[in-house]
Amino acid sequence: MIHLQSRQNSYAALLQNRRNFFLLLAGLLLILLLSVLIAVSLGTIQIAPIETYHIMVYKLFQLDIGNVATQVSPAHIEIIWNIRLPRILLAMIAGSGLALCGTVMQASVQNPLADPYILGISAGASLGATFAILMGSFGPTGIWGTAIGAFTGALAAAGLVMALSGIGGKSSTIKMILAGMIANALFSAFSGFIIYLANNADGIRSIAFWTMGSLAAAKWKTLAFPGLVILMSCVYFMANTRKLNAMLLGEEAATALGVDSSKIRRNNMLMTALITGLVVATCGIIGFVGLIIPHLVRGMFGSDHSRLIPTSIIIGALFLIWADVLARILLPSGELPIGIITALIGAPFFMYVLLKSSVGFGRVGG
Amino acid sequence: MDLSVENIRVQLQHQSIVKDVSLAVKKGEFVGIIGPNGSGKSTLLKTIYRLIKPVEGTILLSGKNLSTLPLSESAKSVGVVSQFNALNFDFTVFDMVMAGRTPHKRALSTNDRQDYELVCSALRQVGMEQYGDRNFSSLSGGEQQRIILARALAQQPKLLILDEPTNHLDIKHQLQLLALVKSLGIGVLSALHDLSLAAMYCDHLYVMKEGHIVASGPPRKILTAALIRDVYEIDCEIQENAATGMLTVCYYPTQLMPVVKGA
Repeated sequence: MIHLQSRQNSYAALLQNRRNFFLLLAGLLLILLLSVLIAVSLGTIQIAPIETYHIMVYKLFQLDIGNVATQVSPAHIEIIWNIRLPRILLAMIAGSGLALCGTVMQASVQNPLADPYILGISAGASLGATFAILMGSFGPTGIWGTAIGAFTGALAAAGLVMALSGIGGKSSTIKMILAGMIANALFSAFSGFIIYLANNADGIRSIAFWTMGSLAAAKWKTLAFPGLVILMSCVYFMANTRKLNAMLLGEEAATALGVDSSKIRRNNMLMTALITGLVVATCGIIGFVGLIIPHLVRGMFGSDHSRLIPTSIIIGALFLIWADVLARILLPSGELPIGIITALIGAPFFMYVLLKSSVGFGRVGG
Repeated sequence: MDLSVENIRVQLQHQSIVKDVSLAVKKGEFVGIIGPNGSGKSTLLKTIYRLIKPVEGTILLSGKNLSTLPLSESAKSVGVVSQFNALNFDFTVFDMVMAGRTPHKRALSTNDRQDYELVCSALRQVGMEQYGDRNFSSLSGGEQQRIILARALAQQPKLLILDEPTNHLDIKHQLQLLALVKSLGIGVLSALHDLSLAAMYCDHLYVMKEGHIVASGPPRKILTAALIRDVYEIDCEIQENAATGMLTVCYYPTQLMPVVKGA
């Protein structure tokens, strides 16, 4: 097995190790690019791969390869360029955003089970978004209103969970999971209530959207803002991996290393609420991504965030792209909500993490 | 680097745990704090390494008021080995010690040769250079304690704060740790349980009881049976050992309180 964690045999070995890691990152990026290209050619409507790439090349570079206009149908151009590609890019954005959220939250509360879905942050965002849409008579409307509503809801949920589990004092893993359960139950019930109260004909369908997620609504113009925010968050957290490492060592050690953990925790929770809010506002609740990905990556590369953050981001994107491909092609008749796929993978994974002795249940977390 | 603590009072949950305490640590001096459980030693140290804010009084680091100094700045010169608590995440020993470089590194900077060498030499100093690739959680309590010390050393502190650093260590490593810390030639402030060890290594002792400092001075001057009787409520004999020339504390067996039936 290749050792990817830092070695200390010699400084040269350390540098070599770092080069290997960059190579691996480059490889992962290549796989990501290939995945996007493959995923774009898969779907319920059969479009030949060669035609797909014709359209892609034509659209991307404005290159006329053998008279595209006559060779491919405009309907296919529409499907590839305006339906599938935005959808895959949204999967990429949401996947990396959620994986980043999970990683950062786990370090911020020193708890390996922290995840936007499990802690009810997603449910809070979903309540905020439904509230903004269905009661849409106040404030800004459209995507902005939804995003602001989702962010506010996510923030409220984060605040509630932090207060209930007693962060700042001593918080145990059990308390935090229970607090997440409470937040989940409470916020989901409220969203359901609002949707039914609004007596909307699509009520039940939109509940399915908000609780199990879907990438079907992806459009070019709704991608830009979440994409930009998540990209900036990635850069921000990559620049602060040392602080995240220090946070992981607990409040005392972080303070001793000059890292003001309560300030950084507040900052990080604010940023993860923003990311979760944006993701939920655009594609509903997609659970477990923030739990699965950091765990997998930690198993491979260790807890050092300078490796954990970039790999989690890429693997999170990969994971959701392929989960969405499954959601699209598994049923011949239509598509599955993507949240079902991630839950089918995530729930057993959660169980495995619970059973693994390394999680400090009963022990004081942090 | 000199530390000077002036009249600080610390409250936890509306109770004063540290009351009007002043102390000083000069460069190169090994200063010990002794006192029974709950006398406020840990709270005092936590206040000095800025986990808790005092309600009154000032802490000066080389004449600069600590409360106006950014945390990231004071961490460049103050290293801490605290009472060890369990982690929910695992690190390799190497990464653990590398975390000690945190206050000296800027965002986005990678670990360079100097960092690498500091980490290696810190591991060598605590006798753990073969353990770099091991997982921290796979080490014994004492080994973990030594790694935490290595992390503090990699921080290149000018003042080291130790909170009962010898807790999990066997006697050999207790002596080694204290000797190592003393050999660094920097200011050291340490809470200690073992009175004989405190007498052996400390240049200056502060004795705490119920949040107050009740005695201070060089160990030979202040460590008396009467003081220990007063502070710890036990009887003992303090002698100079003829062979080692060190102070030794011999305790008398203590009487258990009679159990009152039906109370």
